[in-house]
Amino acid sequence: MLFPKQMSEVELIVPSKDLVAVTRALSGYGVFHQVDSANLGLEGLGQNTWQETAGAYSTLERRIQTIMQNVGLAEEYPAKPGIDTMVDLDATRPLVDRIDEDVKGVSDQLSGEKKRLELLESQLRQLEPIADVDVEVGALSKSSFMHSILGVVPAANITRLKTSLLRVPHVFFTLREDPQKPVVWILGQKSNSDVLERAAKSAYLNPLNLPEEFNGTPEQITGMLRREIESSKQRISGLEADLARLGASHKNELQRLLWDVHISRVMADAIVRFGQLRHTYVVVGWVPTEDLGDLTARLKEASREILIETMATSRSGHHSNIPVALTNNKWLKPIQDLVTTFGRPSYGELDPTLLIAMTFPILYGAMFGDLGQGLILILVGILAHNRIFMKGLQSIGLLLVYCGFFASIFGFLYGSIFGFEGHLIEEYLHFHFEPMWMSPLENILTILAFAIDAGIIILLFGYLLGLFNNIRSRDWAHFWFGHTGVVALIFYVCFLALLGGFLGDTAIAPKVAVAINSLPLPFPLLAGVFGVLVMFSGFFRNMVEGHTLIEGKGIGGFAMFLVQSFMDLFETGISMLSNTLSFVRVGAFAVAHGGLSLAIFSLAGEEPTIGFWITILIGNIFIIGFEGLIVYIQTMRLHYYEILGKFFHGGGMQFEPLKLNPSKEDA
Amino acid sequence: MASGVSGYAAISARVRAMYSDLLTPQDITRLSDAPDFPSLVSALKSTPYGKYLSGLKDNELTPRRVILQIRNRLSDSYSSVVQQAPEQTRPLVRQLFRYFEVGNLKAVLRSIQTVSSWNSEVAPWDRVREVLFPFGSFSTIPAQAMVESGSVVAAVELLRGSPYEAAMSFAMRRFSTEQNLFPLEVALDLNYWRRLWAEAKKLSGRDREMGLKIIGSLLDLNNLMWVIRYRIYHNLSEEELINYTLPFGYRVRDEDVRSIAAGADIASIISRIYPDIAHVSELLDHPESGLPKLEHLLKQNVMRQCVAAFIGDPFHIGLPLAYLLLSDFEIQDLVVLIEAKSSRLKDEAFRPLLLKTTLTH
Repeated sequence: MLFPKQMSEVELIVPSKDLVAVTRALSGYGVFHQVDSANLGLEGLGQNTWQETAGAYSTLERRIQTIMQNVGLAEEYPAKPGIDTMVDLDATRPLVDRIDEDVKGVSDQLSGEKKRLELLESQLRQLEPIADVDVEVGALSKSSFMHSILGVVPAANITRLKTSLLRVPHVFFTLREDPQKPVVWILGQKSNSDVLERAAKSAYLNPLNLPEEFNGTPEQITGMLRREIESSKQRISGLEADLARLGASHKNELQRLLWDVHISRVMADAIVRFGQLRHTYVVVGWVPTEDLGDLTARLKEASREILIETMATSRSGHHSNIPVALTNNKWLKPIQDLVTTFGRPSYGELDPTLLIAMTFPILYGAMFGDLGQGLILILVGILAHNRIFMKGLQSIGLLLVYCGFFASIFGFLYGSIFGFEGHLIEEYLHFHFEPMWMSPLENILTILAFAIDAGIIILLFGYLLGLFNNIRSRDWAHFWFGHTGVVALIFYVCFLALLGGFLGDTAIAPKVAVAINSLPLPFPLLAGVFGVLVMFSGFFRNMVEGHTLIEGKGIGGFAMFLVQSFMDLFETGISMLSNTLSFVRVGAFAVAHGGLSLAIFSLAGEEPTIGFWITILIGNIFIIGFEGLIVYIQTMRLHYYEILGKFFHGGGMQFEPLKLNPSKEDA
Repeated sequence: MASGVSGYAAISARVRAMYSDLLTPQDITRLSDAPDFPSLVSALKSTPYGKYLSGLKDNELTPRRVILQIRNRLSDSYSSVVQQAPEQTRPLVRQLFRYFEVGNLKAVLRSIQTVSSWNSEVAPWDRVREVLFPFGSFSTIPAQAMVESGSVVAAVELLRGSPYEAAMSFAMRRFSTEQNLFPLEVALDLNYWRRLWAEAKKLSGRDREMGLKIIGSLLDLNNLMWVIRYRIYHNLSEEELINYTLPFGYRVRDEDVRSIAAGADIASIISRIYPDIAHVSELLDHPESGLPKLEHLLKQNVMRQCVAAFIGDPFHIGLPLAYLLLSDFEIQDLVVLIEAKSSRLKDEAFRPLLLKTTLTH
């Protein structure tokens, strides 16, 4: 739960005779993440025939899909598809050929007829705008002094085409306004025909091609075209009915063939990435350790002579090539989505989902503390999660429930219900409801200081988690001198002590900082020493990692390095201050929540009339929708900026197991 | 519809975090100091590109493969921004991302035209896919089926239902008579930029202002280079130059493009639009070497616009767009480095081509 699933590297040596059975076992259960190991094979064995086979399956699969499309069948697999062996191409092709032959004749006729209809309709569309012009169409191209171009042009090019013709005398008619294919007619002097033609061609104007036999006036031609279109449409309906009949009669066979060829293609694609030796194949991949036993048993069932070597992988060190399978827990799914939006944990790294599952709703609740509005959030969350209401929010339904729960808890602590606080509850709701802790509006400085204290504790925890991750990855350079390393942590503690000393016994002083300051340690001296270490931490990191000690010495020399180091220290100090004070917003929003409610009450007036209650209702809806969203963003910002950045790097590779049948979710 | 502070809180936080992960000029200088290609790759592994290279075995570390891997980072950045951008701005970001799909489409069509001259032992698709941008699930073109279709006509048929269908249907008429990919590629480019500009214009307020500024600067660069190259290298006529360019942009006006098309002095027009670019005449006197330099300077101009977007109010689409363009320019620098190191070019041959290290503010 705290880390991505433990993974084991698996290396298999598979006898050629068991290749298909083993591939079936690997692909059938969705636990094997394949690594391309074709390069481990021997060279000089000739062309890998599996590549051709995979290509052939792929082509066959596309053919079946095309046939299904032609007969109007959805791409579905049989109701109970079994994981069978790979189908024999030579045996399957004739089956597909037979159905294809049945379908192709009709389908080719249909597509030919559709193209003809399209052509006829396009000719009709082109002629309709000039239907009332009493000229011989053929005469347009036979003029001695005028050059005429009639055609279809992309609508987006018309303005540009007109601009390009500004320098030559011409007449430009848009005969048919169409958002896609307008018909235009350009008429100019014969002497400018080359300019007109070049402009038309470069504007992608497709000249109208009326067959030679189309003589007569537009009206006569359109009459003939309409008759042709009518008979073409009748032929199309007949052919479509034939195809539907063919689809119904071949449905089961096509679905079974599609499934067989699909799994064969998936397996062949996998085999292409195996390393081919003389009589065996090398297969490399990753399996979640918890599934290893099951997969091993299945592999041994598939091949008695298979050699299986498994290596459990330690989580320490660098693991950018190990796929990361996160624990699937439906209750934590929305939190996991929040984390993976920021980054996918790398293999050795702590998965922060559980931590965020605790901090996110608590910080949200602290900013949005109201018993009534919290309960509404829970209700909306449950309805959204169950797709009863606001279906678009289904993915964050559970998150709303968690946030609503803590908003209700803090509502108890702050003594707030639907914005009513203190005497307002007794006056309008007629019951007694005291804050179990304090009312933020009446203890503004206390709540702000408390928020900073909470922030300091979270940040310190974040630093410690960062150190923990560095130890696990054995990244000693960053452990000591990273932005969240030991040196930075001690400097932060000194910084807190100085802050505590500076604020002393003022109401805003964070108690944690004051407590640190009371420790008998020379904090100013320590701050100076560790400040210098922070300043040169880049230098020390390079030293530990064996890199060039001073980067970019060619452009600025040592002086530039010193300036840059000082800026690093300055930036670190500013970040520590801003990171710490950033948590003030938790208290500030708790206060703002009370303030916003007061604003609603001042709008509602004092008398509990219907108008008063309507205003309170609208105000509550506004607060839940508007403030609820802003608090959500602030909570996310606190996590992305202040918390996750302290210890979480992400960059893990997604675990993508071989699967024969993609789940609906994957699809 | 989320906009302003509420819409941009998460994405501006994320983009700023990603922005801080971009390589600095010092990083690029350090990478340029690598003595050879293997050292460059090893130095790259200690940068944020490391995670994209770590999965590669030693024998896979070819320049082409490394370029493909580092482009994955840009692809990830686009996916991340598309997912988090406020809903009304997503079409713009998606369309900007399509730039790489248009590039893939051109590569696929070129491969079909030239496949007969290739070594037949390697399947065409295996060769083509190595040069395609890793577009992932955003792709709307069936690239493999197109390559395997064997002809440009059949391949373009497969684009039915894609955003390129309409543009290609007009251009195919010319292809079938000219048997040349030029009209197809120009149609794809014009279609892409028109759609991008239209998406930027659909926005409102600060999003629109910043979207038009950044997209417009990029469009200026392309529009200018098109009209100059078509005039100098292709000797196209005025009417063709006008039809192959676009009438909008940020600093470059339609009149400027039309003046160049009509034969006006290119240098004086560029100097008026970009007073900070010096010696334009000298660059144009030797177009073979001068035009790439001019393009380099114009790209740096776009980079400055992008860097400026990070100053001040961060709650607009300009910030993510600027980050994505800066990432792209960074990868262009890395591609220069990878190709230079693998071809053992001398320092003076490739260092001036780097955008980041030669950028002045």
